[in-house]
Amino acid sequence: MSTPTYLTRAISVIAHVDHGKTTLSDRLLEYTGTVAPRDMVEQVLDQLDLERERGITIKAQAVRMLYKADDGNTYQINLIDTPGHVDFSYEVSRALAACDGAILVVDASQGIEAQTLANVHQALDHNLKIIPVVNKIDLPQANPELVREEIEKVIGLPAESVIFASARQGIGTQEILEAVVREVPPPTGDSNAPLQALIFDAKFDAYRGVVTYIRVLEGTLRKGMRIQMMQTGKSFEVDEVGIFRPERTPVDDLSAGEVGYLIANIRNVRDSRVGDTVTDEARPAAAPLPGYRHVTPMVFAGLFPTDTEQYQQLKEALEKLQLNDAALVYEPETSAALGFGFRCGFLGLLHMEIVQERLEREFNLTLLGTAPTVEYRVKLRNGQEIPVDNPDKLPDPAEIEAISEPMVIATIVVPSTYVGNMMELSQERRGQFLNMEYEPGDRVVITYRMPLAEIIHDYYDQLKSRSKGYASLDYELVGFEEANLVKLDVLVAGSPIDALSMIVDRSKAQQQGRRLAEKLKTLIPRQLFEVPIQAAIGGKIVARETVPAMRKDVTAKCYGGDVTRKRKLLEKQKEGKKRLKRVGNVEIPQEAFMAVLSLD
Amino acid sequence: MERIHSLYLHVPFCTWVCKYCDFNAYAVLDGLIPPYVDALAREIDAAGDTLPTGPIETLFIGGGTPSLLTTEQLRRLMECIRSIGLADRAEVTLEANPSNVSAENVEGWLQSGVNRLSIGVQSLRPDALRFLERLHSGPDAIAAIRTARAGGFANVNADLLYGVPGVNLSGWIETLDAVVAEGVQHLSAYELTVESQTRLGQEVRTGLVQMPDADDQLEQYWAAVARLESAGYAHYEISNWSRPGFACRHNLAAWHYQPYLGCGAGAHSMFRRNDGTTERRWNIKGPHSYIKQAAGSGHAVAGGETLSRERASGEAAMIGVRLLDGTTAARDFPDQRTQLVAAGLLAEGDGNVRLTRRGIELANQVGATFLV
Repeated sequence: MSTPTYLTRAISVIAHVDHGKTTLSDRLLEYTGTVAPRDMVEQVLDQLDLERERGITIKAQAVRMLYKADDGNTYQINLIDTPGHVDFSYEVSRALAACDGAILVVDASQGIEAQTLANVHQALDHNLKIIPVVNKIDLPQANPELVREEIEKVIGLPAESVIFASARQGIGTQEILEAVVREVPPPTGDSNAPLQALIFDAKFDAYRGVVTYIRVLEGTLRKGMRIQMMQTGKSFEVDEVGIFRPERTPVDDLSAGEVGYLIANIRNVRDSRVGDTVTDEARPAAAPLPGYRHVTPMVFAGLFPTDTEQYQQLKEALEKLQLNDAALVYEPETSAALGFGFRCGFLGLLHMEIVQERLEREFNLTLLGTAPTVEYRVKLRNGQEIPVDNPDKLPDPAEIEAISEPMVIATIVVPSTYVGNMMELSQERRGQFLNMEYEPGDRVVITYRMPLAEIIHDYYDQLKSRSKGYASLDYELVGFEEANLVKLDVLVAGSPIDALSMIVDRSKAQQQGRRLAEKLKTLIPRQLFEVPIQAAIGGKIVARETVPAMRKDVTAKCYGGDVTRKRKLLEKQKEGKKRLKRVGNVEIPQEAFMAVLSLD
Repeated sequence: MERIHSLYLHVPFCTWVCKYCDFNAYAVLDGLIPPYVDALAREIDAAGDTLPTGPIETLFIGGGTPSLLTTEQLRRLMECIRSIGLADRAEVTLEANPSNVSAENVEGWLQSGVNRLSIGVQSLRPDALRFLERLHSGPDAIAAIRTARAGGFANVNADLLYGVPGVNLSGWIETLDAVVAEGVQHLSAYELTVESQTRLGQEVRTGLVQMPDADDQLEQYWAAVARLESAGYAHYEISNWSRPGFACRHNLAAWHYQPYLGCGAGAHSMFRRNDGTTERRWNIKGPHSYIKQAAGSGHAVAGGETLSRERASGEAAMIGVRLLDGTTAARDFPDQRTQLVAAGLLAEGDGNVRLTRRGIELANQVGATFLV
């Protein structure tokens, strides 16, 4: 049942959040008989609970549909769902690189929105053929004609090419599929050429090892073949190749243009890196596919169990999670304040949040995450150079010759109205302006060179909020640069709390210290005694605040009949305290450790 | 199961439900009291048959406003209790609204066996009584205490409230002094507590009423402590004071974690099993459903819980620590005790622990420490 190359298509669906991407994908699966309507659980393509709740896609998904078109041919359409956040922008780019076309969904009453544009630009960067669809035309407030005009004016796609649809009611589904087979070009690869398959995701299966998601661009991948990963150099024997319908279904081979998976007794997702090229060890391709990036963690933070007895469980949980997440790195860490935990590296803040949340939910842990930081390079007077990914581990200033911080080139794409806001924000964050280009469709590309440390905090959120959501951001590490940095320490009840230390720009240090102390005062709940909070730079106190002692907590009436109620009340209070970490005598909530993230 | 010597009867009717009250109380509905008394009598009888009860050493008839019962109705309930077994020297308390304390009622109550009267004075100040929606006046309350004592009650308690908006420290002390001057044997002084489900709770939420701050409340509390000490009352529980020998035996039993039986709408019971576990049951709250259930079967249990030995012991410490002479109930918690002593909330005595001054102010923090 192999499909000739000219009948194969690979597409993704792109849309602003809530414009109906998921419903439309579901309709396509139903219409092509890939999934029976009765088996259609909401959102077949988004699988993690977390993804469903947050309405974001973290892992890419792929599914093969067979569609009998009006021309009498049966086409194989591969639908690839892509993640959507700056932390995962590299994964997105690889998933899009595996496609030839994209269905663009625009809400008939909302029109073009911020993410619509960002997605279109990304799709165009990958030379994808775009099929514009105006969705939700059945809603009373819909104005499809207007949105169609908007699509022509803003994106430059001819109005005639726009399809009206209601994914909810199944209107337009067939037209969309017809447009896909008609407009999206077939793959150009040659099934007899040396194998080149692009890895666009990988998942760990407890029974089978790593399941590698691939699109074969050249050649043919067969079961039993000995393959080599061209970037990592590792080779494996293929146990199984298959396709997603949407569950894994083994096939004999995957030829140029086809999307599917391979299983090859790979024990670690690190050996199946997104963007890597799979080739035939016996007849390797001349070169790997372009665009590979070795994904390295950008931000580092400590994860500590609030209950010290959960350390071993946390260790096992991290081991398991890492099997499925090539970007996550960790090593044991000891904090004087927080005890035993792990220093973890993440792609960005969202990635960190997701990892922490998954650890807590899937492994039933209660964790405390410390403020994320970047990795600094410290040159010592004795000539040695050491990496520092934990502010507390910064050597004594007397030993330090210089500190360098990681720098990025940040590329912001934004409509011209918001250029001023973007520049203001980037300047505040120590950005050096590099370039600005006006592109067609009211699109301005601004580039800045700036410290990564300034980006990992709330830069992305600020960028979004100061552009009403229109700005998109991508950044790339470009090396290290010397900077005038100092360590800011925090003392709570007289004891330094290592996990609250931060490395800051010297000129901002005093102000940051004051703000941090003020913020902590509001975040640390009243204790049985007064708690002084101090910020210090090199032993010199620069700010002091005090959390007053708890004044009163006593129930006036407590008789026989009130006991159950009172006990439950106190038990509930106590339950709430579990989220607090006891440091010395003081109970500190998670939010306090994240206070440094939003000091502006 | 340990034998039960304490009995609580709940009478959930009031002429008016005050805005701060979150007890199981309902504005009186005509004609509901007689069937309620029937149902209550039935429940007491049935409990006497099925549980190891009696002789009853302490009986507490609370509410609501149990002084709304007629002498006849009260006598009937007392007969039921006598049939279970009422100890010769039993303490029998009736809660009464000042408006109901007439010479005639006093005589009837004494005759039916009540020997301790707890009068809901709350305040003597007209502004405070109005704020609290009490239907009596200050002079009514003083008259009630005098009538009770003159009629033969040798054990009278007055319930008072402090921390009432609009009443400053000297206003509170005036009320306290005037009540002490009437020679009551027992005093309960409660801080006015805002419960979210009440009308007062709503008024505070919407900003209509502003409660005094913690410092002002504690100032009134500690002033009362000093005042009552010099007047010769022993401060034996966070909110309770008595002349020597007049501590409320019924409540002491509960604070000492002794079992009790509760009858009536919404009443709680606590039983101690021989294996150290504690069982609690509570009745249906609404009087209509209670009457329907109890009148038919003699039971009106709505729910319950069983506490392991360990949790029961934590609960015993949580309430035992409220007794200011100290408690031995915290003996199973050496670590927590040490920690609380270090924090200055508990003081260790000969074999027991008691709250310090700071410990009283933070008694819930202390109590919560023992919950495992």
